Amino acid sequence: MNATISAAALTPEARLLQALPLISVRNLTVAYGDQPVLDGVDLDVRPGEMVALLGASGSGKSTLMKSLTGFAPITAGTARVAGYDATNLRRGDLRKLRSDVGQVFQQFNLIPRLSVLTNVLTGALHNAGPGNLVGGFSSAHRRLAMHYLDRVGIAHKAKEPARSLSGGQQQRVAIARALMQQPRVILADEPVASLDPKLAGSVLGLLREIATEDGIPVLVSLHVLPLALDYSDRILGLRQGRMLISAPTHGLDAQKLSSLYDDEGEHVDHHP
Amino acid sequence: MTTTPETTASRGASSAAPPLDPAERLRLERAFRVPRARFLTGIPLALIVLAWSFWGAEFNFAKLGEGTVNMGEFLSRLFPPDFSKFGTIVALLVETLQMAIVGTVLGAVLSLLVAFTAASNIAPPWLYYPARWVMNIIRSVPDLVFALLFVSAVGLGPFAGILAMTLGSLGSIGKIFAEAMESVDRGPVTAMEAVGASKRQVIHYGIVPQAAPLLVSYTLLLFEGNVRGATILGLVGAGGIGLELTTAMRMYDYGHLSAIIICIIALVTVIDQGSALIRRRIT
Repeated sequence: MNATISAAALTPEARLLQALPLISVRNLTVAYGDQPVLDGVDLDVRPGEMVALLGASGSGKSTLMKSLTGFAPITAGTARVAGYDATNLRRGDLRKLRSDVGQVFQQFNLIPRLSVLTNVLTGALHNAGPGNLVGGFSSAHRRLAMHYLDRVGIAHKAKEPARSLSGGQQQRVAIARALMQQPRVILADEPVASLDPKLAGSVLGLLREIATEDGIPVLVSLHVLPLALDYSDRILGLRQGRMLISAPTHGLDAQKLSSLYDDEGEHVDHHP
Repeated sequence: MTTTPETTASRGASSAAPPLDPAERLRLERAFRVPRARFLTGIPLALIVLAWSFWGAEFNFAKLGEGTVNMGEFLSRLFPPDFSKFGTIVALLVETLQMAIVGTVLGAVLSLLVAFTAASNIAPPWLYYPARWVMNIIRSVPDLVFALLFVSAVGLGPFAGILAMTLGSLGSIGKIFAEAMESVDRGPVTAMEAVGASKRQVIHYGIVPQAAPLLVSYTLLLFEGNVRGATILGLVGAGGIGLELTTAMRMYDYGHLSAIIICIIALVTVIDQGSALIRRRIT
């Protein structure tokens, strides 16, 4: 199987295709009951870029991420993700879409008792083949998983149970799992919110490297402004379910972003 | 103007926060609280139920006191134990143990399969509710009734006992297995759904590894219970040491009876200790 597609091997047409946005959202509305959480959101994420999504608690960051992979119901608008129409998915397509989108979570979500290697291998479950019925993964998959563990710098822990790792290490394993999917896009929902500042920087650095070197775009939600300013190419700012800011990072500073957090009464958190 | 704690608190809160009733605040801040009315009415009610149950169960301390003499006499007849038929006892205990092992393995495997259909985070409601009902019905039937049922179906002997044990296990542990699987952390399950895993793969990687220590632990508890239970099943002729035990009682062969009881205690203790050791290791 093709482990990594190097940019140089692509035909000009493929390059052109790659330049098209891998996430393209127009007028997206998500509502639980008649309470809209997202209201007419537009966004594009193109290959090679790291896009930070900012916003106060309850602004809809998490819901936006979830709606892109069918974890939150889209009420109106369009969302094309990795070539799929996320607004209108049949059951089989939902799994295909999810397998093409690597996801990284705040709480890492590794399987605590299984080894680091097995955790990375679960990223290949969608094409593990019939051998997986008895719990097996091919040696090609195992080599690839070790390759990604080398990449995130945790190969020496491959045999250890995931729960024995520190938070920063667990998040690196989770990133290796996402890479194992051979994803076209990576979504990272508050990936560093549970980590200390130094680890946060190293994890975001790794994601940025994946975006620029592998061309896999990363959409990352963050709540720490300096981290967003340091590590992203572009910043999107949500406020109360609306996209308030969408601009390249170099033209922005903390002052300009502060409007996202203006206190206008208490927001209610939407975590269904 | 002096600043009361109340105004300090309201200054810190956002303007949109609803005001807290001052009486409620006072109540929350008081060191000793007057118990709520439902707590005060609950205690006498519980005492009444308890007294009613003692009365209904004919619990009588005086009678117990009078009975100690008889009890002492019975116990004294058990000594000295007579180990002359030690070979028979060991053979029957081995049979009991074998019944418990087979009954536990069959029961645990079946329970696991049924538990998948009785865990709300795995099974759809049309499967979940019937599975729960079936297990509730099985659980409410005493194992001895199953033993009688299977003795009449397949005849006297350990096979009937094993079948009774397997069915009984399904009722007792199927539900516990299902609950162990329901109680797993959602995170890894979400992660498995997010990588595009199939339903089977989500269960295989997201749920079972997390529930595994509990599943093994409950299986060992089931095994302990089955060893003890297997000694009872013999009463209705479903194999194991129970039949020998009742026969010794009916024949007033107290020496033999006490030898049997000592051997059962030894076996059950060894198994309980061993299984406790394993359970401590895995959890």
